[in-house]
Amino acid sequence: MLENNSLYLIIKRMRTPMYVLVVTFAISILGMVMIPGQDDQGRPYHLTFFDAFYFVSYMATTIGFGESPYEFTYPQRLWVGFCIYLTVIGWFYAIGSIISLVQDKVLAAQIAFAQFQKKVKNMEESFIIFVGYNSMTRTIIDRLSKEGIRSVVIEKNEEKIKVLALEDYAVEVPALAGDIRDPKIFKIAGIHKKNCHAVVSLFNEDVMNLHVALSAKLMNRHVMVVVEATEEEYAQNLKTIGADIVENPFKIVAKRVYLSLKSPSLLMLEQWLYGDPLVLRKKDKLPREGKYIVCGYGRMGRALEIGLKRAGIDYIFIEASPEKARKAKRGEKVIIGDADDKKILLKADVQEASCIIAATKDDLLNLSIIMAAKRINPDIYTVARENHINDSVVFKAAKIDRVIMIETLMINKTYNILARPLADRFIRLMTYRGEEWGEKVVNLLKTHIGNNPETMETVVDEDHAYALVRHIKDTGEEIPYSVLYRRRDDWRKENQMLILYIRRGEQEILLPKPTEPVKIGDELLIAGSKEVFEDVEYIMENIYELYYVMKGRACELSLSCKLSLDF
Amino acid sequence: MNMEKVISGFFIILALTLNFGFFYGDPTVLEQHNRYELFAAIIINLIATIYKLGDKTQLGAVLLATSLVADIQLIGAASIWALGEYVTGLNAEAVTAIISFSGGALLANVVSVILFTGDVLKSKR
Repeated sequence: MLENNSLYLIIKRMRTPMYVLVVTFAISILGMVMIPGQDDQGRPYHLTFFDAFYFVSYMATTIGFGESPYEFTYPQRLWVGFCIYLTVIGWFYAIGSIISLVQDKVLAAQIAFAQFQKKVKNMEESFIIFVGYNSMTRTIIDRLSKEGIRSVVIEKNEEKIKVLALEDYAVEVPALAGDIRDPKIFKIAGIHKKNCHAVVSLFNEDVMNLHVALSAKLMNRHVMVVVEATEEEYAQNLKTIGADIVENPFKIVAKRVYLSLKSPSLLMLEQWLYGDPLVLRKKDKLPREGKYIVCGYGRMGRALEIGLKRAGIDYIFIEASPEKARKAKRGEKVIIGDADDKKILLKADVQEASCIIAATKDDLLNLSIIMAAKRINPDIYTVARENHINDSVVFKAAKIDRVIMIETLMINKTYNILARPLADRFIRLMTYRGEEWGEKVVNLLKTHIGNNPETMETVVDEDHAYALVRHIKDTGEEIPYSVLYRRRDDWRKENQMLILYIRRGEQEILLPKPTEPVKIGDELLIAGSKEVFEDVEYIMENIYELYYVMKGRACELSLSCKLSLDF
Repeated sequence: MNMEKVISGFFIILALTLNFGFFYGDPTVLEQHNRYELFAAIIINLIATIYKLGDKTQLGAVLLATSLVADIQLIGAASIWALGEYVTGLNAEAVTAIISFSGGALLANVVSVILFTGDVLKSKR
């Protein structure tokens, strides 16, 4: 019945104008029929109901064809004079009601709601529900839409939805104005649908994320829930209620600081899989010796503490709030005071420190910390946390060695989880392999492909690898992965690519050997270039291409094919 | 006493009685059927129809349907009358058509009243 709400709203509002119209018409017509007139010969006559209806219809609508069928007498004209005002006012009232109804906000909301429901209902591809529309989700939706992945947005603020409507996405993004505290909202957004792939919630407040995860899991426990959690207790809660992926941007930061100190190649690989080129820039090289000053002992400060401790770096904290400083474990060095105060910085031995990390949640404070530290020690390596993408111009102008953008990190991480799940898994697996392994992979990639390889993810199944699957099923023959490396124009040559990772159910293979046999259902992460990926796709899907790269000669057409070609 | 029920009941039953008043009489003799009564029946039926609009219940939907049927039948009767008077002439065929159309409307109005009273009887108070 919900779709009919807007229709009912219109009908209900139009009832009074309709009464007015019917009653005024009835009075006018009745009067016209009862008042006697004169025909052209001067004989008395009465208008019939049809005459009266005809006359009143064009009088009320102010069309005015004149007096018919004969000229009116004065008693008739007196009545008509009265009726003009009666019916015209009634008519204008009706039209005015229709116009005000069109502008009505409640009706507009109802219509938008009905349209949203229809769009979600008709969506056949898999889609992702985003809760909250902000600069982060906007970028993620944009990148996903370029990959052809559809999104649905639930946002409380209607202004933001208007902004979304102006955005030029590659695919349509239906948006619903609504508060997620109402569990019905999720149902309307299609969470119970089979093709609902994931629910994403990246609010700054962990409470909101917890709320979203809880309702989403209760509504549909099969749906993947991706949420942000920056506090440890919330992360624990989220995991207990079954949130599939709990992201903590500060943990990523801490991990990157650790990797940059201990295993730069792994850092290089990680940044590359997040969308950066496969090079290590100067700004990525943190000083390995000397003392670090970390300003802010909040969520990021505590995460950094773990990373720095593991890397064996000497560090000291500066925290303005005594309450937060008290949370520090015994033995940690925490100075209480404003970090942009020169005296406090001197107290932390800034003139001898090798690196300063401004990690507070206030962008301006972070900038002023960096400026103050540079004035005392111009050689110090500076790292600043940037909370909002909008501030990037100022941060660029400040010439900071390394800017950590929390929002960008979250965007890249979430995008990887949703659109590049294998790359995300690969990042996690490679961390256990150590620096040496990382160096080997980087060298392989650089010598084989170049400085900026791209990645592709695909599955060996009927949809993505028709030829391969058919060949394996029909012949039972084992095909090694080396076949995929061969070039379509010359089978003896090899394409510049590298299979990084195969997921085969529970089994996970990093850097598989070319002799590894292809199994149906394998999920592949391949590094290479766009042209190479095209070759791989052709070989996987087209039986003639597969035959050529396997046998080295063109496939002989079967007799029936030849016969049909002759015509 | 529910004022809304009084008004809706008034219009629904008035639509039926006026309709019956017009229908009653020899179906071949137009003089036995009052044109003012037909006009009143049409107007009251229209008002009753508008009254039933916007009711989202199952019963409301059926009541609205019967009312719409009665409207169409009565307006049909009036149209035939106008057509007969000005175009084809009021012969016996036209006259019986007018009366039988209003008879059909009467049936729809009877159904409407039965549904309405049924609903009233069903409610406990």
